[in-house]
Amino acid sequence: MVKGFRPETLKEALKLRAQYDCLPIAGGTDLMVQKARGFALKPDFRKPLLFIGHLPELQRLEVINRQIHIGAGVILTDLLNSETIPDIFKEILALMASPPSRNLASIGGNICNASPAGDTLPYLYAMDAQVVLQSTDGERIIPIAGFITGPKQTDLKNSELLTKIIIPQTEFDINMYRKIGQRKGMSLTKAAFLGMANVADGKIQDIRIAFGSVAQTVVRSGKIEQSIVGKSTKDIVKNISEISRQYAALIRPIDDARSSAAYRKKVSLRLLEEFFVSNLAKVSNLRKAQSKGDIE
Amino acid sequence: MKESISKPIQRVDGPAKISGEARYIGDMHFENRLYAKTLRSTRAKARILSVKKPPLPRNYFIVGKDDVPGVNRMRTVVSDHPIFAEDTVEYIGQPILLVVGPEREKIYDIITKIKVEYEDLPALFTLEDAEKNSEVFTDYHYEKGEPQRAFGEAATIVEDEFRTGYQEHVYLEPQGMTAEFRDDTMFVYGSMQCPFYAEGALTEALGWPAERIRVIQTVTGGAFGGKEEFPSLTACQVAVAALKTGRPVTMIYDRDEDIICSTKRHPSIVRYKAALNRNQDIVALEIDVLLDAGAYNGLSPVVLQRSMFSATGVYNFPHLKVRGRNFMTNNVPSGAYRGFGAPQTIFGTEMMLHNIALKLGIDPLEYKMRHALKRGDPTCTGGKIRDIVKLPEIVKRVTQMSGYHDKRKNGQKYHGIGISLFLHGCGFTGNGEQTIGSKIILKKEGEKVILKVSSTEMGQGAETVLRKIVAYTVDIPFENVIYESVDTGKVPDSGPTVASRTTMIVGGLLQQAGLELKDRWHEADKIEVTRTYRHPDYIDWNNDTFQGDAYPTYSWGANVAEVEIDPVTYEIDVKKISAVYDVGLPIDETALRGQMQGGIVQGIGWATIEVMKTDEGRLIQKNLTDYKVPTSMDVPEVECDFINNPYEFGPFGAKCAGELPFVGSPPAVAAAVSNALGVPIRSIPITPEMLMEMDSDEN
Amino acid sequence: MKIEFTLNNEFKSINVDPAQRLLDLLREDFGLTSVKEGCGEGECGACIVLMDGRAVNSCLIPAGNIIGKSIVTLEGFRKTARYKMIEKCFLDAGSVQCGFCTPGFVMATESLLNENPHPTDEEIKAGLSGNLCRCTGYNMIIDGVKLAAKRGNGLW
Repeated sequence: MVKGFRPETLKEALKLRAQYDCLPIAGGTDLMVQKARGFALKPDFRKPLLFIGHLPELQRLEVINRQIHIGAGVILTDLLNSETIPDIFKEILALMASPPSRNLASIGGNICNASPAGDTLPYLYAMDAQVVLQSTDGERIIPIAGFITGPKQTDLKNSELLTKIIIPQTEFDINMYRKIGQRKGMSLTKAAFLGMANVADGKIQDIRIAFGSVAQTVVRSGKIEQSIVGKSTKDIVKNISEISRQYAALIRPIDDARSSAAYRKKVSLRLLEEFFVSNLAKVSNLRKAQSKGDIE
Repeated sequence: MKESISKPIQRVDGPAKISGEARYIGDMHFENRLYAKTLRSTRAKARILSVKKPPLPRNYFIVGKDDVPGVNRMRTVVSDHPIFAEDTVEYIGQPILLVVGPEREKIYDIITKIKVEYEDLPALFTLEDAEKNSEVFTDYHYEKGEPQRAFGEAATIVEDEFRTGYQEHVYLEPQGMTAEFRDDTMFVYGSMQCPFYAEGALTEALGWPAERIRVIQTVTGGAFGGKEEFPSLTACQVAVAALKTGRPVTMIYDRDEDIICSTKRHPSIVRYKAALNRNQDIVALEIDVLLDAGAYNGLSPVVLQRSMFSATGVYNFPHLKVRGRNFMTNNVPSGAYRGFGAPQTIFGTEMMLHNIALKLGIDPLEYKMRHALKRGDPTCTGGKIRDIVKLPEIVKRVTQMSGYHDKRKNGQKYHGIGISLFLHGCGFTGNGEQTIGSKIILKKEGEKVILKVSSTEMGQGAETVLRKIVAYTVDIPFENVIYESVDTGKVPDSGPTVASRTTMIVGGLLQQAGLELKDRWHEADKIEVTRTYRHPDYIDWNNDTFQGDAYPTYSWGANVAEVEIDPVTYEIDVKKISAVYDVGLPIDETALRGQMQGGIVQGIGWATIEVMKTDEGRLIQKNLTDYKVPTSMDVPEVECDFINNPYEFGPFGAKCAGELPFVGSPPAVAAAVSNALGVPIRSIPITPEMLMEMDSDEN
Repeated sequence: MKIEFTLNNEFKSINVDPAQRLLDLLREDFGLTSVKEGCGEGECGACIVLMDGRAVNSCLIPAGNIIGKSIVTLEGFRKTARYKMIEKCFLDAGSVQCGFCTPGFVMATESLLNENPHPTDEEIKAGLSGNLCRCTGYNMIIDGVKLAAKRGNGLW
């Protein structure tokens, strides 16, 4: 029988974490599948389990100084039902797994699982989200991109727990999210694209672009984004093949049971172009027309 | 006057299934029972050099080939699959032995400690390789007319080739079986379609007469062909284990194990060579059907037969040359799956006609109807279409329902509409019914009638439909008809529950017996009436030359599919299926609609998202995370209608229904995708990966 | 590990391996066989039960996660008026064929209508998207849920 710890408080949990080589588990939706052994058999856990999904400290969802603080134990359904969560993030969450799984799965679990296909990750990368890692020695706050070090790999230390995710409370005028699965309902992601931007006077003020499931971790490039900011949408559309070429160098997908590397790469770049050519160009025109209308 | 039999009634097994009280094999309790788990081959083809077993704790057993008292082969059409592997293994997942004991956890530990030493042998993994190496299990031919002459006189010759992939049944209840040896009799309980198949297999594996074997079907959570022949294997395995241990033995698969080792729909290549005359009509056709049977032939020869006899679809091609081959590969064996070989060739033939029509600039529907079968026409095997053919009415109704003609005219890129025409031969292929000689019993006891058949309820509604036929025939209340549980010790062999034969063949026998019972109702309190199937005299079939009527009659249908393709990602959205069928006369409209809706969606799955491939004999998609079947979010609107065309020899005019909808939806979807993108479709599943490549090639 | 929880409205205290799946706990230890194993990986929904009123996959829940929770299986739910309504509507709409997925669909329907008593067609499809059915093609199950929402006005 594997040992289980079920602390009542975060403080207690951190103590146990420091004391034992144990496996933190929240909703269990990833771990229970990864460790499953088959019909009527117990999952193959070798380390004691540290149950943390219920900890009250990890259930909080609040806005502090224009930053959304999400407890690592908050389940996806509660994020979907929250008024604090931006619509684009909800759009992403609504396409994750299925209702009964979303009633179990925590956001912290999705992050710590660090799957290249992790559905919350493109958004968190794009928002420059930070993760709070606590131990009995104190806490570290690091960017999500630094926390996830590779497929299924994180910088979580043996004494630490991921306790909170901090997302700047920023919303963008233009948002496009596309998840490509093998089917419409309940599907793992073959490729995902997230584009968000603010445009004023026909010029791009801020832009965030992230690709999921097409490399070892989320693909986002501050450098390319910076090169786009300040340019007019017209120029960008003209220059689209150059931007596409730059991202192409970063997108390195694999062939697997769900799709092919060639498709993943092509479709990612097509979605990028779609974002610029259709969404961005159209919406910025629309906004111009609207502001004109306001003046008149 | 009674209400029409088509008017739906509440299905009898509904309440217990909704409340969760229905007991499937995994829910049943057996006193003092042991569990079993299978050790499987990890090699595609290898010689077994040694099997090193750890010391076994008390009450734990290993059961293998040496424990089989009779013949170590699973009996089916070709009895080539060993119950437990002997000197070699021929596919990954092949059963080698069972570990049996009281605790599942311990069994699992023991299994992981058994070491099998293999010597790998050269293997074949694809149909192409098998064809090159002439690894043929079965090679069939038939001809009609004078194909050679017709090809010599052809104005044009067109060739085309089509491919279809694996399909996993994904019955929601995985395979499960329990055997119990008591009173000198082997009792086998399990989830299955064909208890008498299992009984037959057990007589050979145990070397016992059938009198010492009882096979009892438990509530069966879906089958679709996947529980036709495969349960015979697990039945023999647990029976051998029960004999060795003297205790009941239960073996329930989990999903991953089920996917890895159970039979699947045959992957296929179908090649066509068509001779067109100056009017551009097809006058002669050569068809070459290649099926991947996997490592053992099993019942693949019969699948191949249906595939070949369905290959001309609803059309009359005057001259024909058809060849069919089952190839041996070191892949998991293929087997029965709804449609039984017909979906592969119907898909090919529909798309072949579609592609030729597009090339000629003719509307595919118009082109197809130029070749349509009419009453009195010869069938592909030289039989005769005897009954009224309502294909024109079906087409009229389905094109009206869907607005086919207008939508086709006003088509835009990425929006597609496509039509399929199809039929399905009712009942067993060839001389199957004569060979089986189904028996049924109706027994009057007071006011009640007991219905004894071996037809199993597996979700399709057989119990409701058969009881309804008897109640209507004898003219007694439905509640007074009792359906005897399917137990080979209690019911006669009315044949397996396959080939869409239950309503028409078994229901037909029940109707005949019911009429006699009704006539004799006042004779006595207890009356037993039996019927044995006799093939209609007018039907002539030669199983050596494949000449004559391969089927007594046919059900017909047409589907119109509407799709949208995402111009950026090439994801396929099937928006609507309009479907019209002639199944004679519906016995229960709700049960029938359920078959049609479910069959259509299974067909869409096979045609689009259900990708299953192997890599050197290893399945790439081997769980439900990677192998995707449709969810509620993936299903289109389905509008379904029936054209009545009562069949003289079917109960109340009913013909076959269960497989028909599966056959129809894949070519309709493929035709719609072809229409949306303006490209020919030559293989399914049609994936976004494939479409993106094709569309950029076109550009 | 000592696990205290409520099962079909009765308090339970048991000592089990905290990693044991709730699915097996319900089936093996409590004999609640309405809960089915169709895949063991959260894909099929045949093992759905209610945890604090919400549909969850019991194959994904380690026993350690049910402490203090209220678990309701179909054995408990089938005593309610809501169940009777779902049963009647599933029968009338022809929502049932082989039945192995049906208990999971009943529980998912309860969870869906509990949250959203008047769902649109799209909301029903999304609400049932964690349940696989291979027999019906779903449309007749969706009809059953629609009928329950309509006829059961006020029950949810």
